[in-house]
Amino acid sequence: MNWVKNFLTSTIGRKFLIGLTGLLLIGFSMVHLSGNLLLFVGPSAYNEYAHNLHAFKLLILAEIFLFSLFIAHIAIAIQVTLDNRRARSQNYAVKKSKQGRSEWTPSVIMHISGAILLGFLILHLSDFTFELRLKGPDGESPFDKAWRILQNPISGPVYFIGSILLGWHLWHGFQSGFQTFGLSHSKYTPWIKRIGIFLSILLAIGFASLPLVAYLKKWGVL
Amino acid sequence: MSETLNLTLKVWRQSSPQTKGKFVTYQVQDISTHMSFLEMLDVLNEKLILKGEEPIAFDHDCREGICGTCGVMINGQAHGPDRETTTCQLHMRRFKNNQTIVVEPWRAKGFPILKDLAVNRSSFDRIITAGGYISVNVGNAQDGNSIMVPKQNADRAMDAAACIGCGACVASCKNASAMLFVAAKVTHFAELPQGEPERQKRVERMVAQMDEEGFGGCTNTYECEAACPAGIKVTTIAKLNREFLGASISSQKEETQLEGNG
Amino acid sequence: MTQLDAKIPSGPLAEKWTKRKNELKLVSPTNKRKYDIIVVGSGLAGASAAASLAELGYNVKVFCFQDSPRRAHSIAAQGGINAAKNYQNDGDSTHRLFYDTVKGGDFRAREGNVYRLAEVSADIIDQCVAQGVPFAREYGGTLANRTFGGVLVSRTFYARGQTGQQLLLGAYASMMRQVDRKKIQLFSRHEMLDLVLVNGVARGIIARNLVTGELEKHAAHTVLLCTGGYSNVFYLSTNAKGCNVTAIWRAYKRGAMMANPCFTQIHPTCIPVTGDYQSKLTLMSESLRNDGRVWVPKTAGDKRVPNQIPEAERDYYLERKYPTYGNMVPRDVASRNAKEVCDEGRGVGATGQAVYLDFKDAIKRDGAEVIRQKYGNLFHMYEKITGENPYEVPMRIYPAPHYTMGGLWVDYHLESTIPGLFVLGEANFSDHGANRLGASALMQGLADGYFIAPYTVGNHLASRTFEKVTTDHPAFEEALNLTQKKTEQFLSIKGKRSVDSFHRELGKLMWSYCGMSRSEQGLKEAIQKIRNLKDEFYKNVKIPGKGNELNQNLEQAGRVADFLEFAELMCQDALERRESCGGHFRVESQTEENEAKRDDQNFCYVSAWEFQGEGKPAKQHQEPLTFESIALTQRSYK
Ligand SMILES: Cc1cc2nc3c(=O)[nH]c(=O)nc-3n(C[C@H](O)[C@H](O)[C@H](O)COP(=O)(O)OP(=O)(O)OC[C@H]3O[C@@H](n4cnc5c(N)ncnc54)[C@H](O)[C@@H]3O)c2cc1C
Ligand code: HEM
Ligand code: HEM
Ligand code: SF4
Ligand code: F3S
Ligand code: FES
Repeated sequence: MNWVKNFLTSTIGRKFLIGLTGLLLIGFSMVHLSGNLLLFVGPSAYNEYAHNLHAFKLLILAEIFLFSLFIAHIAIAIQVTLDNRRARSQNYAVKKSKQGRSEWTPSVIMHISGAILLGFLILHLSDFTFELRLKGPDGESPFDKAWRILQNPISGPVYFIGSILLGWHLWHGFQSGFQTFGLSHSKYTPWIKRIGIFLSILLAIGFASLPLVAYLKKWGVL
Repeated sequence: MSETLNLTLKVWRQSSPQTKGKFVTYQVQDISTHMSFLEMLDVLNEKLILKGEEPIAFDHDCREGICGTCGVMINGQAHGPDRETTTCQLHMRRFKNNQTIVVEPWRAKGFPILKDLAVNRSSFDRIITAGGYISVNVGNAQDGNSIMVPKQNADRAMDAAACIGCGACVASCKNASAMLFVAAKVTHFAELPQGEPERQKRVERMVAQMDEEGFGGCTNTYECEAACPAGIKVTTIAKLNREFLGASISSQKEETQLEGNG
Repeated sequence: MTQLDAKIPSGPLAEKWTKRKNELKLVSPTNKRKYDIIVVGSGLAGASAAASLAELGYNVKVFCFQDSPRRAHSIAAQGGINAAKNYQNDGDSTHRLFYDTVKGGDFRAREGNVYRLAEVSADIIDQCVAQGVPFAREYGGTLANRTFGGVLVSRTFYARGQTGQQLLLGAYASMMRQVDRKKIQLFSRHEMLDLVLVNGVARGIIARNLVTGELEKHAAHTVLLCTGGYSNVFYLSTNAKGCNVTAIWRAYKRGAMMANPCFTQIHPTCIPVTGDYQSKLTLMSESLRNDGRVWVPKTAGDKRVPNQIPEAERDYYLERKYPTYGNMVPRDVASRNAKEVCDEGRGVGATGQAVYLDFKDAIKRDGAEVIRQKYGNLFHMYEKITGENPYEVPMRIYPAPHYTMGGLWVDYHLESTIPGLFVLGEANFSDHGANRLGASALMQGLADGYFIAPYTVGNHLASRTFEKVTTDHPAFEEALNLTQKKTEQFLSIKGKRSVDSFHRELGKLMWSYCGMSRSEQGLKEAIQKIRNLKDEFYKNVKIPGKGNELNQNLEQAGRVADFLEFAELMCQDALERRESCGGHFRVESQTEENEAKRDDQNFCYVSAWEFQGEGKPAKQHQEPLTFESIALTQRSYK
């Protein structure tokens, strides 16, 4: 299987894996968001969803798959970022884009938005999945737990920032994944770009609305 | 029409590949706006020579934007501020009086600095050596018109073949990636029926060589397209990805190494 | 005295090359790998020769001074390449291409050579297509053609405005394939500084590694010089900055004869000089003259902006003087007339050294869009360089040195007067006579490299016995020491003037005295001035830096030193040729209407100059030109 190794260790092959895991993660994010939005529908809807989810027998397999996606995406991304750094022997004293874009353009700071996302995820998983901090009362319903965590003075803001950065990451990431797969076409690429922008805004607003609403409730605005 | 400029130049000086370089500041006066950027450097060099200092080494040859020899970073932009323009075609009317201009060499692991602004780009030659050709011996060719090429394909091949091998794509890419250069050559041949027989092997070998030379990977930031004086589009990079993916999956294993690779 | 034997095969014109190919000796396949070949130059001629020789199995070393062989100056050719394919069914044929080329060259080329060139032209296109050169295509998928100056058929193949680039990249790729197969070793950033002869046969070169400054010895069984033209003797030309005469000049000093050095082509449509800092001139394709009208104001010193000069006060001098051909007269005629009106003080622009090329009427007739489609990229290039918009303001153009028909003398085998030294491409003198037609230099370079040298070089290898020569041979030591001394000499002068200032001065001199028109008195004056300049050079040049490092000034110094010597020979050749022909216009030899007057009675020969030693005048040899298949006629474009 030498050719598999050759492919996966090449610059293009590694980028392909980032793209593949990235696009699958977008799929997860959409499902996750729709589940999370049930928090707005009401306790019974959300609790039922959470219950059903945990009742799903193969959940552990799905979770393992999901985690390996994250780990693969992140590990390769870190490796690629470091390699790419090395490819520039020495940094320029002055560097300016010819596309007339700023230094904060999503495509340029993928590694930064990614790193912050990683921080968010660690916090997020320790909050919800592993319950390492912010332990709630016994028998607390998933619904109450979610709102409680979202109103936490650390988690709330971090979730908000994480959500926005997810959008930032995907603003570039979605169409970039297609380019990586070689799917570029004069008819379809403009649509891929539009869909990517739409999705990233949707996910950013969708996720961010949760901590936002939680805070508005906390402050008594809502 | 013709005005003159006084400028401050901050130029990277490095006497050899091994030594450490640094920026040196120079003043140039009465630069005509009709001068090209390289002519401005000529004027400075003439001054340096007469003062007994070493002139600035920079690569150039055709001075009309086609040979791909010239190329420096001008205020952080490969080949300066204009699109689809090489350093030698850039004219001083693009600059303002009393402006400071920072001039740096291409910086990339794949392009070691030789002296001052001159870099070694033979990595590009080695990438072409790794399959960037069509194997046809002289004397083997059939009549030109027996190979029909739809105009659209011929045009796309030409678009890609226009690459002048200057290295601005590498210089401008935040990852010092040579993808646009490699993509241009792969696309040129992949669009033509003549390129078909060696299509898979070519892309596999060229990408492997590109990686070996220490160039970074592409993260689709598209800066290369903006910097490319020959107008090579990043759609060629998508094409390269597709070709590479397809070849990696479907190319046959090589059983025995045939004589050479040609 | 060396007899010049052109080795043209006997027999009918159309059968000469076939006949000769059958006579040439062959090297057996297993023996080929025992022979080493040095190719200096990686332009169309060098790259194509190197690739085809390596394909045959020889071991080839390729040298070029650029950082990559792909950057040889052939890359800059815009227009196209001729071939007698007759794809357009417009009556083209090998004979017609042959005839056009001989006539275009004002009957100063060999019939035999030119016919062979026309004969192999079709194969060149096939070879290039097979290599993947993206020639322009029709919608149906067949190859497209365009028309070029001086001919009545459509035989020019092109790849956008970048034909030279695409042909060179094709040859370069073929060459890199042989590098891949380890049949070619590449030496970029290497400059050949001397030729090494052993027992009178070319057996190697001395080259300077331009990065480390090291002088290297390279031995081989034969040496091919494909080092391009010497237009840069004029300092300002359309050639790349690095183009030089050094390689062929050093070969000349080792005994190769220099033929017709005064035959240079001045291209009429270039962007004019703007100031003293000007470092090079840019060509605007001559196809622009199809739609542009050339004019100057009627009165000298008229400094109004062009659009304010009314029709009645404009002089469309080409249309006035040559009603039949008008703006489409050949290059030499167009150039000379531009100079004439500027000399009368009617030149335009800040320097007065330019004429207008006006598209106003064409735009009015066809609309700006049609003009944009035809010439958009050229207009864009013009605007980039001048900052003026040619859709609104007429272009300013002026002639500039562009191509050199002269070069080392070679026989039908492309072998110089030094056995084992072959010369290909623009570096030799062979096929264009006194004037080259558009789109035929590319053709010649590739013909030489792909289809002629592979046969004739093999013949040389098969018909001589070679003693074993390594770089330890004293001849290499001698040449190396000589070169070393020269380098040290340059560095030790430590004078007050830059190399460039000498080159500029030489260029101005040559342009004034040996440019578009030449006179006996002027040429004599020029020779004296060149000598003085040369003396000053060796006393007063200043070259910073050291010899053992990348030193661009030192490189340039060597080239300028050779130009200074060569310039004198060029003037001497021009002086000796007391006729006007092609690009060579002697004021003493003109018709009543001030047109060029050829003198077939006295000058129907190739003049080949032999080096006689430093400081001694070169010795002239004459190779008479005979025309069997075509009658000599005086050109007229009225
Ligand atoms: C602007 C321009 C446009 C043109 N357009 C056309 C056109 O449309 N059609 C056409 O037919 N012709 C055209 N020509 C002419 C044509 O391009 C050239 O005549 C031809 O390409 C010369 O090819 P060559 O291989 O002989 O030399 P070049 O391509 O000049 O190559 C010379 C090679 O020799 C090497 N070299 C030189 N000196 C040394 C040395 N001392 N040591 C080591 N290496 C050395 C160089 O590195 C280079 O590799 C044009 C020319 C110019 C300048
Ligand atoms: C959690 C930590 C994460 C890190 C460290 C990270 C890092 C990166 C990096 C470095 C890249 C490549 C850089 C580039 O192409 O410019 C990348 C690409 C991408 N990421 Fe992430 N990312 C993370 C999370 C995510 C998540 C959660 C998603 C999706 C929901 C995602 C989707 C993508 C996509 C689609 C791409 C584009 C792939 C391509 O261009 O081929 N990433 N990521
Ligand atoms: C901002 C609003 C968010 C809320 C309210 C939220 C809520 C939750 C909840 C409640 C869980 C626990 C599910 C369970 O095990 O019962 C969870 C798990 C998870 N969330 Fe989020 N989430 C948010 C944003 C995100 C984002 C932006 C991502 C990254 C794309 C993300 C990735 C994950 C992951 C990977 C898990 C673990 C999944 C598992 O263990 O099965 N979440 N989230
Ligand atoms: S792709 Fe463009 S920028 Fe890169 S080498 Fe080619 S011409 Fe230069
Ligand atoms: S700039 Fe670099 S990241 Fe890719 S798209 Fe161009 S190679
Ligand atoms: S010098 Fe040739 S492209 Fe600039």
